[in-house]
Amino acid sequence: MKALILVGGFGTRLRPLTLSFPKPLVDFANKPMILHQIEALKEVGVTEVVLAINYRPEVMINFLKDFEDKLGITITCSQETEPLGTAGPLALARDKLADGSGEPFFVLNSDVISEYPFAELIKFHKSHGGEATIMVTKVDEPSKYGVVVMEEATGRVERFVEKPKIFVGNKINAGIYLLNPSVLDRIELRPTSIEKEVFPQIAADQQLYAMVLPGFWMDVGQPRDYITGLRLYLDSLRKKSAARLAAGAHVVGNVLVHESAKIGEGCLIGPDVAIGPGCVVEDGVRLSRCTVMRGVRIKKHACISNSIIGWHSTVGQWARIENMTILGEDVHVCDEVYSNGGVVLPHKEIKSSILKPEIVM
Amino acid sequence: MKALILVGGFGTRLRPLTLSFPKPLVDFANKPMILHQIEALKEVGVTEVVLAINYRPEVMINFLKDFEDKLGITITCSQETEPLGTAGPLALARDKLADGSGQPFFVLNSDVISEYPFAELIKFHKCHGGEATIMVTKVDEPSKYGVVVMEEATGRVERFVEKPKIFVGNKINAGIYLLNPSVLDRIELRPTSIEKEVFPQIAADQQLYAMVLPGFWMDVGQPRDYITGLRLYLDSIRKKSAAKLATGAHVVGNVLVHESAKIGEGCLIGPDVAIGPGCVVEDGVRLSRCTVMRGVRIKKHACISNSIIGWHSTVGQWARIENMTILGEDVHVCDEVYSNGGVVLPHKEIKSSILKPEIVM
Repeated sequence: MKALILVGGFGTRLRPLTLSFPKPLVDFANKPMILHQIEALKEVGVTEVVLAINYRPEVMINFLKDFEDKLGITITCSQETEPLGTAGPLALARDKLADGSGEPFFVLNSDVISEYPFAELIKFHKSHGGEATIMVTKVDEPSKYGVVVMEEATGRVERFVEKPKIFVGNKINAGIYLLNPSVLDRIELRPTSIEKEVFPQIAADQQLYAMVLPGFWMDVGQPRDYITGLRLYLDSLRKKSAARLAAGAHVVGNVLVHESAKIGEGCLIGPDVAIGPGCVVEDGVRLSRCTVMRGVRIKKHACISNSIIGWHSTVGQWARIENMTILGEDVHVCDEVYSNGGVVLPHKEIKSSILKPEIVM
Repeated sequence: MKALILVGGFGTRLRPLTLSFPKPLVDFANKPMILHQIEALKEVGVTEVVLAINYRPEVMINFLKDFEDKLGITITCSQETEPLGTAGPLALARDKLADGSGQPFFVLNSDVISEYPFAELIKFHKCHGGEATIMVTKVDEPSKYGVVVMEEATGRVERFVEKPKIFVGNKINAGIYLLNPSVLDRIELRPTSIEKEVFPQIAADQQLYAMVLPGFWMDVGQPRDYITGLRLYLDSIRKKSAAKLATGAHVVGNVLVHESAKIGEGCLIGPDVAIGPGCVVEDGVRLSRCTVMRGVRIKKHACISNSIIGWHSTVGQWARIENMTILGEDVHVCDEVYSNGGVVLPHKEIKSSILKPEIVM
């Protein structure tokens, strides 16, 4: 079985993190985002993953070669020389996706974090016999999205309504699809939207079905949603694999700590924190609702909340980091500095406080 | 003869341009900065250039391979695995710089644009017989710099004074040196400053001489100075190679236009403008005091001043771009948009006006 992951473009919404790595290689819960998806695909028997890429493919390829061996799965790239939207990449990768077996293939948006219930999706796809299945998820404010209107009993999709003023439903496209190879015949090699062009066409032919995604879902493509997604992910981990979460008097709620990280005395960590490989958290540190990426050092008595600390950065003694502060790679916040929503590009030293949200270049 | 160019680190002061290319590969007057230096070095008989690099060396190496052939000069890289300051790189490249011939070698800071009077420098170095020569340039406000105090008659350097409150002289280090191989014996392989450690030591031994740099000089390491440097450079071209500059009723003052660029009807271009390879400037455009890099399209009736337009960007019809606006690579400013000092990271579309200087990420 095969899968295409729509890696997409420049990841501008997740800057400054994506100035150092392509978005799918940005860590989420101590693992590159894309690995969450690839591992879940492998579990349901996918043997080849194709990445649709148009930005810094050499970084992606080099990184994933390591994981091909570890995972025992084939990972190839299909490189766009110009952006092809969300459907064009399927046409570009046609020769890799259609192998003549007639088996359906997965298509995933790379920003999506969920429980990836792929086994249920396969079962549902087989049961309805239609050409394509999309997973949908419920949202609280459907008027901000493209809403999927479906027959509740069968899941058959009737139509899509963009940002409906009047309520027509509360389910939106979750960015996870299972498609028969015949879908490829509907897509030309040009910039095309799968959501606005291909799916409505399949729905008009009464061949499109939607399955409500069980468990949590989050598009973590921008920092605020990334932090929310971490909370949802850790909650899910608490229910399914609680042993992987940290325990102890110094821990509040759900906290994920990489085995190689070191945490000092008198810290209070959590809730909803991920501490990455090789991190050093010195004595007396307070961390809540944040991600601390590989190789970061948090010095004594620092207090960090609702923020992301990028790779190999340092947070000084008594520093206070809060309100969606995002530190890029190799950013060094000096002792006693306060950051209120600072967004700092890579390789910078922050010597004075940032009192209101601003970009530091 | 050999030369070491101190390419240095992340180029954060020249962002967003240096988010797409290492600083020495950023174009200045339609040519990568570093090529200005390498071409001038070749003219005085330098046959090997060593680049001291610690950021994205593969980009530098790939790019310069092309020019090695064209220029008939050997270009190699000496890669720092951690920043070594301004003297450490000399120790690291010791085996490449000291070839046993006893000949002096050049050391250049990569941000410096000048007339590179290397022939005069060689002559002066031979004449005084000391161990090292630095070029110095006069500045209007010496209290902001490290000042070089020298014997006027001989050029022998007495001492360095950092940010003097009381006037001690008005000449500063211009970032161009000619050093005997024996200087290498003074430098250990560790982070070291050539300006603050090595040169004061050589001066104390009465072996350091300074030559006042003739013609213009500018450290173009940040946008405002880059724009000023362009004006000085074009003035210099006017005096020495006026035929390279554009002429015509549509041109005001000094303007450099690459032969592959296209300029429409009814434009007014200049003063102090550089238009790069493959650019398209449509009808009725006004450009002054700006650089337009490779592959940019400026649409009809746009007005641009005191700004830098990065590679492959677009400026829409009737757009107004001014006051140190810096567009990174592949930035698209829509029709009728006004940018007052916007600094835009790569791969963005600007749909609404930027009324005061701010960073758009």
